[in-house]
Amino acid sequence: MTKISLKRRQVLTAAASLGVAGASLGFPSILRAQTAQTIKIGIPTIMSGRIAQLGISSTNGAQLEVDAFNAAGGFNGQMVELLIRDSKGKPEESSRLTRDLINSDKCNFILDCDASNGAFAVHEVVRGTGTLCIHASPEISTLTADPKMKIPNAFRTARQGAQDAIVAGQYAAEVAKQNNFTKWMTIGPDYAYGRDTTALFVRYLKHFSPSAQVVGEAWPKMSQPDYTEFITKIMQEKPQAIFTCLIGGDLVSFIDQGNLYGLFNEIEVFAVALADFTTISKVKAMPKRVHSGTRYLSAFPNTQANKAWANAYSAKFKDSPTNWSWQAASGMDFMLEAMRQTKSVDSKKMSDALRGMQIKSPFGSKGMLTLRASDQTLVDYATGWGRISNKLPFIENAKMADWGVITDLELKWKKENGWA
Amino acid sequence: MKNRLLSSTLLWAIIAFLILAAMPGLIASQMVLDLIIHVAIFGLFAISVNLLIGYTGLISFGHAMFYASGAYAFGLLMQTGTWSVPAALALAVLSSALLALVVGLVCTKTKEIYFTFLTLAIQMMFYSTILSWETFTGGDQGLTGGFKKPVFLGIDLANANHLYYFIAGVVIVSLGLLWHITKSPFGYALRMVRDNAARVEFLGMNVRGYRIAAFVIAAAFASVAGALMSLYVSAAYPNFGYWTMSGEAIFMIMLGGVNTFLGPLVGATMLTLLNHYVTAHTKYYGLVLGTIILLYVLLLRKGLLDIIVERFIAFRADRTLPKKQIESRLP
Repeated sequence: MTKISLKRRQVLTAAASLGVAGASLGFPSILRAQTAQTIKIGIPTIMSGRIAQLGISSTNGAQLEVDAFNAAGGFNGQMVELLIRDSKGKPEESSRLTRDLINSDKCNFILDCDASNGAFAVHEVVRGTGTLCIHASPEISTLTADPKMKIPNAFRTARQGAQDAIVAGQYAAEVAKQNNFTKWMTIGPDYAYGRDTTALFVRYLKHFSPSAQVVGEAWPKMSQPDYTEFITKIMQEKPQAIFTCLIGGDLVSFIDQGNLYGLFNEIEVFAVALADFTTISKVKAMPKRVHSGTRYLSAFPNTQANKAWANAYSAKFKDSPTNWSWQAASGMDFMLEAMRQTKSVDSKKMSDALRGMQIKSPFGSKGMLTLRASDQTLVDYATGWGRISNKLPFIENAKMADWGVITDLELKWKKENGWA
Repeated sequence: MKNRLLSSTLLWAIIAFLILAAMPGLIASQMVLDLIIHVAIFGLFAISVNLLIGYTGLISFGHAMFYASGAYAFGLLMQTGTWSVPAALALAVLSSALLALVVGLVCTKTKEIYFTFLTLAIQMMFYSTILSWETFTGGDQGLTGGFKKPVFLGIDLANANHLYYFIAGVVIVSLGLLWHITKSPFGYALRMVRDNAARVEFLGMNVRGYRIAAFVIAAAFASVAGALMSLYVSAAYPNFGYWTMSGEAIFMIMLGGVNTFLGPLVGATMLTLLNHYVTAHTKYYGLVLGTIILLYVLLLRKGLLDIIVERFIAFRADRTLPKKQIESRLP
């Protein structure tokens, strides 16, 4: 008996040793065969864990555009191929994967669909390699607002917290004036995004409505399961309106738990991140007076082109598109258009072409999107606020934001920070 | 004896460096070099943790704190633009060693599970500080904006090959020093502390002093690993100091072996390669990796290098020797 077990162990040990040795010696062979006929675009993103939806919906959005491009003949007969890698939300892994995509998989470009901290890691890699990169997911403003981050080969098609805050502040101030709200409370996730977004919202709320007072703040942890203490705090303070930048499941939990306490009977809610199919469809009972910024809805902008895009997405992926989907799709569209215009896959030539480029898009506020030359970031995308219902099209009386106002206030904010 | 140990350590270090130095010429793949860098850094980190676990008998769940302190100290110094890489590296290690001295003085007042959880608690305090002190650490975004790597002694770390040689060189020197420490009288005293602390006390030796020294040395080398990772990614991130990072090091030790000096390096190699292959082929990374590790632990029950060395010694030894005597021959 012992003898048999010993032999089995020896076999297992030998097998494990051989496996590791083989893997160690053989890993150069995993390099994929290079196909001269494909243009490769690497996508570092998050495909597993709690925010896998980020990676799934981003890559779906990009794939939809690539399929259409390839179906139309590609680039001089060359097809575009997406190479997707899971960073698992670890910045050091984002860094390694991006280098791997560029150096080993020979990707021509990078479409970064990682979270904010991963995006900074990706940014540092392309700073060194000079590879054209479009950041399509991170919403942190400093990635493009802070001049020390600026490199000629990195662009951004992700929306920004600062721009969203201006739009939110203006809309909330208008609703507050109509209803005589002055007492506000905020509830946001206790990390950089939540604190930055809340601070900027309050700044612009007071800019547009100087009488607004913030009587309290609540800072739940990310993925907090129970919001009772914060709901109790809000009920004690009795604000007339709440601003929240909770996202995804956290926002759904907060609304569902708030409903149990009748929190929203007397309080108007302004949720910056509710109007996204994957979030809005999860809310069990939508409060009567909820407003949201538009992340992505097929009814905003209310055009045939936007509806057609959403339908094509749903038909292909059996799922609804998200904010991340349109951002990645836009990033891909800009990349493909730069290829067409420059008739090349040269990062430098394409970067030069992308600076200030305008393209037709279903996601534009006026049917067009612009990559602003000064900071290489997306402007003119459809952004606005409206009242939310839990029935399609989910948004009523949606008000499109004025990009003139956004640009002016954004410039002032940059100047205050010494960035412009 | 001392001279022989020193010369053999030097010889092995030179051989290791020559092998690694030949890699860029032999393999025209930056990916392989990147994987070697990752293995080297994580291997150094895991071996530093094993100085506590394997040699001193102290199970620390908070060692990532020093990996992070090294990374942040190095990153912050480099971002000032006034420090050279070697000076920033030295200062990062020194500051982490001082931090470890303070933490070690607190933690070594306790033993066993209390020590383990105290290290975990202090690490989480450190992690919370990183997140909260946004103006200094960049909060949950980490140190962003990168940093310049000034050329020193003809070494240009902006060049991928130079970076590879530098990281490989620093890791080999660090491992050489650690190896030397484990083979010194101090290293054997640590083993005695691990095996029977009461007996060591009776011999008139200061057990707590040895534990603190081991803690500080292990932290210093963990901070070297952290600083090298910061150099590699041109940044530092809060998850460097999260408890899962300490867990990964313990994982590497379990996979590679706790009783052999290079066992954790083997574990780091296994985990890095598994991570690379599995991530490239499936999004169910956790499921695949969990299954592989579960089978591995259930079937092998020991670290890979431990088993190999054990079998090798058993093979060479007289078959009639009792098992205990064979085990006593393990390094």
